Amino acid sequence: MLKDYLPRDIYNLIIKNFSFADINEIRMRANENLIIVIKNKKYYLKDENGEFVKANTNMIENFVRRISENSIYAYNDNIKNGYITLKRGIRVGLCGSIVTDGDNIVTVKEFQAVNIRIPHIVKNCSLMAYDYLVENNEVKNTLIISAPGNGKTTFVRDFIYQLYAHNVSKNILVADERNEMCSVVGGEPAVDLGGFCDIYTNCTKTFAFKNGIRSMRPDIIVTDEIDLDKDLESIIEAINSGVAVIATIHASGLNQLKKKKNFDRVLDEKFFSRFVVLSGDEGPGTLTGIYDEKLNCLYCR
Amino acid sequence: MKWFLIIVLISAIMLIAYSVSEQYRDKFDFYTNLKLFLQQFKLNVSFRQQKINEFLNTIKPKKQFKLFVEDYKTYLKTNQLNLTNIKILEPDEREELSRLVTSLGNHDAKNEVHQLDGFLATLELNLTKATDDKNKLCPMILKLSLLFAIGLAILLI
Repeated sequence: MLKDYLPRDIYNLIIKNFSFADINEIRMRANENLIIVIKNKKYYLKDENGEFVKANTNMIENFVRRISENSIYAYNDNIKNGYITLKRGIRVGLCGSIVTDGDNIVTVKEFQAVNIRIPHIVKNCSLMAYDYLVENNEVKNTLIISAPGNGKTTFVRDFIYQLYAHNVSKNILVADERNEMCSVVGGEPAVDLGGFCDIYTNCTKTFAFKNGIRSMRPDIIVTDEIDLDKDLESIIEAINSGVAVIATIHASGLNQLKKKKNFDRVLDEKFFSRFVVLSGDEGPGTLTGIYDEKLNCLYCR
Repeated sequence: MKWFLIIVLISAIMLIAYSVSEQYRDKFDFYTNLKLFLQQFKLNVSFRQQKINEFLNTIKPKKQFKLFVEDYKTYLKTNQLNLTNIKILEPDEREELSRLVTSLGNHDAKNEVHQLDGFLATLELNLTKATDDKNKLCPMILKLSLLFAIGLAILLI
């Protein structure tokens, strides 16, 4: 897949030295060594002479042009949000100079760095938590917590699939604001989420929650990377409408989560009845703990 | 036999004249198609936002413009642009065209439309020249060739 986008010599070096099945990230920064990330460990790419391979602005610009299929205008909404999603769920994070018009971001130019994130399907990674999150075929409102890159999305994807595999016949609406969970390209999700999913991509959570509840009649709404400041009202509205919510949030653990704005309210009003904490201790997606609505530990590693 | 050779000679001269004048017609057609292409592409960028490759697949080019579209598609696949197949264009015209090809698709929609307006304005000059050439030179070449052929025929008789 990346063969079509990466410079040929770089691609050849990568496949010679690494297996794509293991790679989590490829990072290119202008005038810096190219880095391959495998299970949170960083490796520098070396050429045949043992020299470190450096990325440069030209290489990065060409790469962005190729992943946007020479049609930046068609990808600009994604570029403005800092990423482009490729087939098979590969996500490319983009960094560069932000062009603004007043308060609005117009586009990103002079790309300085790209981070190519290669997703991995970890079958059954949520299975250990499944029985804590589903009771009598009813899914509990669940918040999944981990630091970036520690497997929240992988966990959620697998959990959605497990609901299907366990015949929990519920309509699931996925509010995939950044097209990260489902990686829909050309209307088709790149990952197998089972047969019960309706997917909104590239839209705000407010839109997805409001319109989704009206039009798609979901039993469960799944969403990624919530902001308790911005998204809490939509979540409350969904829960009060009888829709179960499964959401993820960035935090390294419960202690950090407690410091977030509005979390007191989440606890006081018991919006979520399960908190799942993941870490990268034994690779991304390590299940560290499952807690109830009073933060009592149900499963602790 | 002599008359037969004279007729062959006149036909050959007229055929050459026609093929020379055809180049001016082809150039006019090429620029007319290019203008239409850019106008449609501008609409595409403003509304449907199909990617360039998808957009190129929706058009049905003919003659010299078909070569351009093929070269464009090759460029999108290989990043190598070679417009030398389009024989009707002068080197500076080819350079202008290659600038167009390598620039399209590099901007957000608003700036892409601005850029397309710029290209369309430049193209209008080329199209005016191609129209003038077609209207003036084509009939002139045919008439002069016919006169030359008749003159040659008289000399041979």
